Amino acid sequence: MTNLTSVPGADVVPAPAAKSAGRKPSTKREVNAFTGLAHIGLVFWALVTAGPLIWVVLASFKTNTEIFLGKPFALPQSFSFQTYVDAWSEAHVGRYFFNSVFVVLLSTAGTMLLGSMAAYVLARYRFFGNRFIYYLFVSGLAFPTFMALGPLFYILKNMGLLGTYTGLILVYIAYSLPFTVFFLAAFFKTLPYEIEEAATVDGASHTRKFFQIMMPMARSGLVSITIFNIVGQWNQYLLPVVVISGPGSDQKLLLTQGIAQISVSAGYHAQWSTLFAALTLSILPMIVVYAIFQRQIQAGLTAGAVK
Amino acid sequence: MPVVESTTRRTGGSTPHRAPGRATRPRRRQTSGLPWLLSLPALLLLAGILGYPLVRMVELSFQNMRLRELISGRPAPWVGLDNYTKVLSDTDFWAVVWRTVAFTVVAVIFTVVVGLGIALLMRRVARGVRLFMIVAMMFVWAMPQLVAAQAFRWITDSDFGVVNYVIDKLPGVDYQNHSWFVNPWQGWSVITTLVVWAGIPFIAITLNAGLTQVPKELVEAATVDGASPWQTLRSITLPILKPLLIIVTTLSVIWDFGLFTQNWVLRDGHPEPQYQTLATYSYTQAFGQSRYSLGSAISVITVLLMLGVMAFYIRQMFKIGEVD
Repeated sequence: MTNLTSVPGADVVPAPAAKSAGRKPSTKREVNAFTGLAHIGLVFWALVTAGPLIWVVLASFKTNTEIFLGKPFALPQSFSFQTYVDAWSEAHVGRYFFNSVFVVLLSTAGTMLLGSMAAYVLARYRFFGNRFIYYLFVSGLAFPTFMALGPLFYILKNMGLLGTYTGLILVYIAYSLPFTVFFLAAFFKTLPYEIEEAATVDGASHTRKFFQIMMPMARSGLVSITIFNIVGQWNQYLLPVVVISGPGSDQKLLLTQGIAQISVSAGYHAQWSTLFAALTLSILPMIVVYAIFQRQIQAGLTAGAVK
Repeated sequence: MPVVESTTRRTGGSTPHRAPGRATRPRRRQTSGLPWLLSLPALLLLAGILGYPLVRMVELSFQNMRLRELISGRPAPWVGLDNYTKVLSDTDFWAVVWRTVAFTVVAVIFTVVVGLGIALLMRRVARGVRLFMIVAMMFVWAMPQLVAAQAFRWITDSDFGVVNYVIDKLPGVDYQNHSWFVNPWQGWSVITTLVVWAGIPFIAITLNAGLTQVPKELVEAATVDGASPWQTLRSITLPILKPLLIIVTTLSVIWDFGLFTQNWVLRDGHPEPQYQTLATYSYTQAFGQSRYSLGSAISVITVLLMLGVMAFYIRQMFKIGEVD
């Protein structure tokens, strides 16, 4: 229980305790008892949270017979990556994986470029129609994805974008913009005005101010909203189902669609471990992204949402 | 002129005389077309992909678009409010509405309360533990809904599921081959668990970030004055967290109200009537049964319902975005 001493609240207790010695110790003990319970509760909760994930990863190394053996938490007999190789090549997960990476990279880049430009002017410039545009963007937040699927289908069909990545990327960008603009506009407003003004005085162009001054200052906000968009777009299932359809779309399916296909076609006969391997593969990139940007995500969330 | 000013600045010249000009000049110059130019691409995309379908959907809901019209390309006949009367007088539809509302209320309350609880607890544990928590939650947050739903489908599988395996181990309980989806209450508990489980990380991580902004001095002062932890929470922490809480609650309601993937996957792509939500219902009507107009009418009603209930909170959320 040595770690209890590093509790944020604990290190501030001694100073006042010197003054009012009568009351402090009891408060401290209470806090510590509670903290101990909190630790236990949290560890338990973390296990519950990560449990299903662990189970998926374990199952991905097992053979079909092992999965159906009825010992869900037993370790697999051998750790071979054969299921992953199978999933990657035979179930075309490899191709779907790169399809997804390609689409998400382009659409996140597009979202961030368009979204940050719009958010920047909405937050920092006073012009006619500013509020109107802002509300237009943010009202997009209130609409659930599924609702305009039918008409979306027709539009893409009429424009010849059905079954193309261009169509899907445009759709992803449009669906991500409301939250991006909402979040970034709030973030840009919190940034200091002085530096920007100094740059204006020094004769910097608007473009230069935006890319060389505002963007670097807004870094943590940009990073966290980028991550948010990557995760959101990587996780999409419904939109690709609607957009990547029609003849010749087999080659273009995204990872989530590929996974759905494996599980639908699998039934009780095929390689279930392939499915679990594919599931694991689909989580991996997100974990890598998180691991890299964990600190910025925290910083960005704090600065953007709480003033 | 800019050159001169820049040199004075670089040499650290005094700035007071510039102060009045500073306030007005940037504003003045910006009334050009630049702001519109920068927001135009995003605006166009939004109008084309969110706005136009929206208008089309409303239009469609007053027509009768069937597969025949879709294939032949002939204009669909106008039918006025027929679709709406059909939907609104349908008892199945109302059953779906109440089910979706009930689910949303339960799921959002659980998600936000537990998420807040975890965020509060995270402030009290040691750094290492907190890091572990965040990583664990990020795993869950990073998991595609589809993947999580697939995992839960297997975990609750009647023959090979972990849940049955664990419950069956309890003395005197026979849960072998128990099917979780025969009884809708049990089935919906599984779906709700999945949604809450997947929804907590976003809320807990966001609120935890927000909690770091609560001034320690305030909490200490309250404690010294003899406030109970509950009082401190209610009168200090929650008011400071309020904007964030409103945002995450509103977003949760929007997300949960549009529940699609989870019940779709857990019911194998063919949700039984008692597992339909508004999203799956309108999708099945539109695409499964080729009643595109009916599906559109359901979507329009859904959004109106949600906006009606949420108007107040959505307004609050908009306001929070406009910090000044």
